[in-house]
Amino acid sequence: MRKIILIVLKGAALVLTLAAQRVEAGPLDSPGAQKSLVCSACHGFAGNAPGNAMPILAGMNANYFKKAIKDYAEGKRPSPEMEPYSKYVMQFGLDEIADYFAAQKKPSHAAVKADAKSISRGATLATQCAACHGPKGEGDAERAFPALRGQPTGYLHAQMALFGGDKRKLDDAAADENKKRIFKGLGANDIADLAAYYATLK
Amino acid sequence: MANVSRREFLRASGISLAMLGTGGFPSFAAEAKRKVVVIGGGWGGATAAKYIRLTDPSIEVTLLEPNKEFVSCPFSNLVLAGIESLKNLTMNYNGLRKHGVKIRHEAAIAIEPDKKRIRVGKDNLEYDRLIVSPGIDFQWDQIEGLAQAKDTVLHAWKAGPQTLQLAKQLQSLADGGVAVMTVPPVAYRCPPGPYERASMIAWYLQTKKPKSKLIVLDANKDIVSKAGLFKAVFKDYAANLDYRPSQKVEKIDVGAKEVTTDTGDKVKYDVINLIPPQRAGAIAVEADLVGGDKRWCEVDHVTYESVKQKNIHVVGDATIGLPVPKSGNIANAMGKICATAVASLINDKEPPVIAPGNTCYSWVNDKEAIAVVNAYKIDNGKVVQIEQKLTPGKSEAVAQNSLAWRASIWQDVLA
Repeated sequence: MRKIILIVLKGAALVLTLAAQRVEAGPLDSPGAQKSLVCSACHGFAGNAPGNAMPILAGMNANYFKKAIKDYAEGKRPSPEMEPYSKYVMQFGLDEIADYFAAQKKPSHAAVKADAKSISRGATLATQCAACHGPKGEGDAERAFPALRGQPTGYLHAQMALFGGDKRKLDDAAADENKKRIFKGLGANDIADLAAYYATLK
Repeated sequence: MANVSRREFLRASGISLAMLGTGGFPSFAAEAKRKVVVIGGGWGGATAAKYIRLTDPSIEVTLLEPNKEFVSCPFSNLVLAGIESLKNLTMNYNGLRKHGVKIRHEAAIAIEPDKKRIRVGKDNLEYDRLIVSPGIDFQWDQIEGLAQAKDTVLHAWKAGPQTLQLAKQLQSLADGGVAVMTVPPVAYRCPPGPYERASMIAWYLQTKKPKSKLIVLDANKDIVSKAGLFKAVFKDYAANLDYRPSQKVEKIDVGAKEVTTDTGDKVKYDVINLIPPQRAGAIAVEADLVGGDKRWCEVDHVTYESVKQKNIHVVGDATIGLPVPKSGNIANAMGKICATAVASLINDKEPPVIAPGNTCYSWVNDKEAIAVVNAYKIDNGKVVQIEQKLTPGKSEAVAQNSLAWRASIWQDVLA
């Protein structure tokens, strides 16, 4: 009798364990989450950066994430902050971390405040960017082009300043020439309008 | 059921019934709950408490922190220069409560490692694992005359009332007056902190009291962190900043308003900011978590378990032996890594092997900042640095990054 009870209990326990695991799967219950533990200091929990200068990693396409990390590590994208951290991340391999951030939900955009006219001017200017970054700033995961929608204005602004000053280059020579041509036609106000437009896109 | 003991049931199920919630088994749940206590709600302890709950919500976490509010030491040097308010650096612990952390605003009186319990007030608080994040305490006896004068000679090295008092003293300084600040010998909390403070006070004097001077008496033979960057900054303040290395303060005479250094130099002051030599917070010393130096706690580099006491982990400024600075960012990283290790060990799992990282910004005037960033790996069970990078110079962009950093990391610690 005692044995039967224990067998029944073990069966029930298996069900309970499965149920418990499902219920208890915490937000850190993935290898990518654990390997990216240190990132949240700057990029927020689950890649939801609350500040203006750091990019939001939540929902970032995995191909672009991996390319960005490699570019930082090789010094192609100069950044005193990201060069060490990219090498840090690379010690774990990039796949799990990239997949983890890609799977996270982006925050709501309630906090973004921008002038409606600036956004509308940005929308017009953004037609030049659509070939690579998509008509709605959704990026192109296949070609590892980043989504721009919903990124903080400060981050967008800083990256456009780097592009404009030719301090951030594109791998493809023809694309880089095209980028230079576009940025030559953009003044400081245009860049602010573009940042406002993309930051408010969902 | 009567024939099967509770112990056998638990063994057969292989899980903690506490995971099921208190629904059908309130008495079991109470018994099976695994308990972690965290001593100290600073950057390391608050982070650790939160991340244990995030990693395994079935673990009961109690945080002991006497202060009702968290005050950020990072950015408190800006308060001294009058460009930041202490209020903006002050946060409550409600975010941790939302994660289910039980908070008691009391100090741990004593740790009893053999009994795996802590005395708090009249209670004994039991733990399966304990995380101690005690921060630093000051070695008043290292400087003659300081112990008697410690309430009036300000350190302002724990952000809070002393930060405001020192700011007030600097505001009251007559134009033409002399402020003296001292830098303690390594190891101390926040290696670049004294030089950021020197820069911010010098900026304040240059802007508001141009005939005044700040004399920095550094016990170390050179600037301890970001040396090249700070030297360039100090040149901008040549008229208001007198930096003197290898000048260890050994004596203070508050009557004569004078400090004496180990070279016999006597330096008069109108305002003094004496940052004393430091060691791990008292509870760590009393619980024998410190090494032969009686100052700092040696820990395992993967789990942060004390090398001296089993089931007790130490994080933050109190630790020694890792090639990392005593910074808020490192304490935050240690808190997260230690939390996942503790949750793993409590569940009889192998802890993940994760190294910390460090991002450290220093403001040098009202608009610009510099930074150093360190990345690490674990090699043969030890933390090893893989890269250090400094900003090329001061810039407003770095200052903007520091504001994004603080918005993010304060959430990571507390929200």
